[in-house]
Amino acid sequence: MNRKSFLLGALALTLAGPALAQTMAPSVDQPVTITFYNYNLGSAGIGAEATKKLLNEFMAEHPNITVEGVPYSSADGSRIQADLAAGLPVDMVQTVFSDLDFAVHNWGAKALEDIAPADEMAAHFEGMSPNGLKLGVLDGKTYGLAYTFSTPILFYNADLFRQAGLDPDSPPKTWAAVKDAAIAIKEKTGKEGFAAGITGPSAADWLFQGVVRSNGGEVISRDRKTLKFGEPEAIEAVAMLRDLHDAGVYENLDISGAMEGMAAGNVGMYLQTSAVQGVLVAGAKDKFDLRASTMPSFGEKPVRPNNSGSALTIHTADPVKQRAAWELMKFLTSKHGYTIITSEIGYLPLRTDIVDDPQYLGDWVKSHPLVQPNLEQLAVLEPWDPMPGPNYRQIVKTMMDAVEMSVFGGADVAATMADAQANAQALMP
Amino acid sequence: MTIASAAPPRLRRMTQSRWAPWLYLSPALITLVVWIYWPLVDAVRLSFYQWNMLPNSPQLFVGWDNYQRIFALPKFWQALRNTGVYIAGLLPLAVLIPLAIAIYTHDLPARSRNVYRAIIFVPMIIAPVVAAAVWRWLLDPGYGLANQAIKGVGLEPVKFLSDPKVAIWTVILITGWKLMGFSTLILAAANANINPSLIEAARMDGASKWEVIRDVRLPLLSSTVLFLVVMTILLGAQWSFTYINVLTGGGPLGSTTNIYYLLWDFGFSTMSVGWGSAAAVILFLGFGALAFVLFRLIDRYSFHDN
Repeated sequence: MNRKSFLLGALALTLAGPALAQTMAPSVDQPVTITFYNYNLGSAGIGAEATKKLLNEFMAEHPNITVEGVPYSSADGSRIQADLAAGLPVDMVQTVFSDLDFAVHNWGAKALEDIAPADEMAAHFEGMSPNGLKLGVLDGKTYGLAYTFSTPILFYNADLFRQAGLDPDSPPKTWAAVKDAAIAIKEKTGKEGFAAGITGPSAADWLFQGVVRSNGGEVISRDRKTLKFGEPEAIEAVAMLRDLHDAGVYENLDISGAMEGMAAGNVGMYLQTSAVQGVLVAGAKDKFDLRASTMPSFGEKPVRPNNSGSALTIHTADPVKQRAAWELMKFLTSKHGYTIITSEIGYLPLRTDIVDDPQYLGDWVKSHPLVQPNLEQLAVLEPWDPMPGPNYRQIVKTMMDAVEMSVFGGADVAATMADAQANAQALMP
Repeated sequence: MTIASAAPPRLRRMTQSRWAPWLYLSPALITLVVWIYWPLVDAVRLSFYQWNMLPNSPQLFVGWDNYQRIFALPKFWQALRNTGVYIAGLLPLAVLIPLAIAIYTHDLPARSRNVYRAIIFVPMIIAPVVAAAVWRWLLDPGYGLANQAIKGVGLEPVKFLSDPKVAIWTVILITGWKLMGFSTLILAAANANINPSLIEAARMDGASKWEVIRDVRLPLLSSTVLFLVVMTILLGAQWSFTYINVLTGGGPLGSTTNIYYLLWDFGFSTMSVGWGSAAAVILFLGFGALAFVLFRLIDRYSFHDN
């Protein structure tokens, strides 16, 4: 079995050998089936319907290509790994950005520069946000195209703002202002001042990375060798969150608790991915005035948010399948694709030029003003750094456990973060 | 067949007597080796490697690294303490209450006894994930039925799953609620097996109802009780896994993490087979030692009818 797959691999390598750059076939002339591992398909929500719709449209346009959607859970990649280990074809994946390093080094994600003709890439990237394109770049190569992604948004309840004597037309822009507003809301209305999806079992580290970066720090060095979340800038950022908790305005609610609290009108401000917008809008309808602002900054320092969400990655080594996957990738990240993704799943368009175009998102954006801060942040968006090596998830967990203990658990912030950094550094490759 | 019959009769009988038992045993032995011993040995081997189970990636020998990392996890010791809390909290729910129910319901009329025991047993047959989801609705701090009742009598709502001090007891109670039926069933069966003539004899000697329970039933139930105690100690923390996974994810602040959940979380979220195997070996040795002691205790303290 092993020898057979080795021989097959060697054969594929020799076949691919002569054309080392751009291995994919020029076109798909015979029927081909590709698998697409997609976590939206695994959820019962609207994401699955919109995804199926896009896949069906694609197959109608490309009669030779059959796309087999495989649902998987983004919480752990074990389905993908198990299928790869079993020798099943994993051709294209909707990869969470924090898994990107692992996907490249273990799941054989291919750099687009290595498989796709340069002119086709250039033509397709036309009109895409340069910051958005950078999100899927690792070690200088484009491994993924941002697919369903979003930015951190400060949702706020304008009614609670009014009751607390705050001006809902000038939402807090800095963390200091967030604290003042939260205290006012807590004192005047008795509701929760502030909630955030920074910590918690399913939060991962995307929001935390943006908070640290906005304070001039980073969780991992640019050469991706040294962890830095125990350094002064990061500690200061964690201490700021701790201060919010100590002031009594930032409780350790779990993800669904915070989201439902905000949707029910019991929370003043809520920092979370724009992807939850649909739930909040549904909860606020006819009950309270839901508004949105950009992520808060540390004083005068610039806000440096990063994205959450996923990229599309191509994993197949077969030239014809690569072509089929590339066509699917182009379709899903086309103007039409992003229109569906933004308006029906609730993410962001990587193509900013469709936002004002009435043929695409123009009317939708006008009737959905909450998406505006998201679009503003697209201009300053930075990549969500994936942790390297086989223990990357353990690194993220060690870091986020320390953050939670520091903010909510009463632990000494500097010592806890430094300790966790030392522990996690030992897990780096 | 023809070859066999051509062979000298004496030799055939000898061969048969030497190999036949092994031949008959072989299906069982092969299954045992393939499914139990070989995985055990291979887990020990893999615990010294770093590998992610992909056939195309190399197995990297890392010595004791995996073990060191597990022991260096800040949450490891917290999880170990929590495991103790889980076991201590589950013992009354999985042994004492079922024992009381089994003995009490024994004297009920057959019809109401069966109805009552069926009610107790129902939680056992509900799928754990479904049960967990229902409990989450019931315990929700905002709209959950439990908190509506608490608010109804004018008290502050309890954060059953998000207060670090309360969450572990919530998970213990749910696990215990689920287990109670099973333990009751086992104990009721053992109780029904007690020879009625012993009870009769005690009564004739003038023993009161309580004296019959204390001096006849409990000693005769002791081996079953000890068996359930051992099961709870060895597996109790494992039974709560589903509820931890669905309800709390080990949080808040790691307060509901136990040793099984932690090792699964760190070992399997990336299919890092080295971590997972090292964790399994640690659990195997730790609980193996515990089981050895406990089974010695059972042999010593249980009382048999005959």
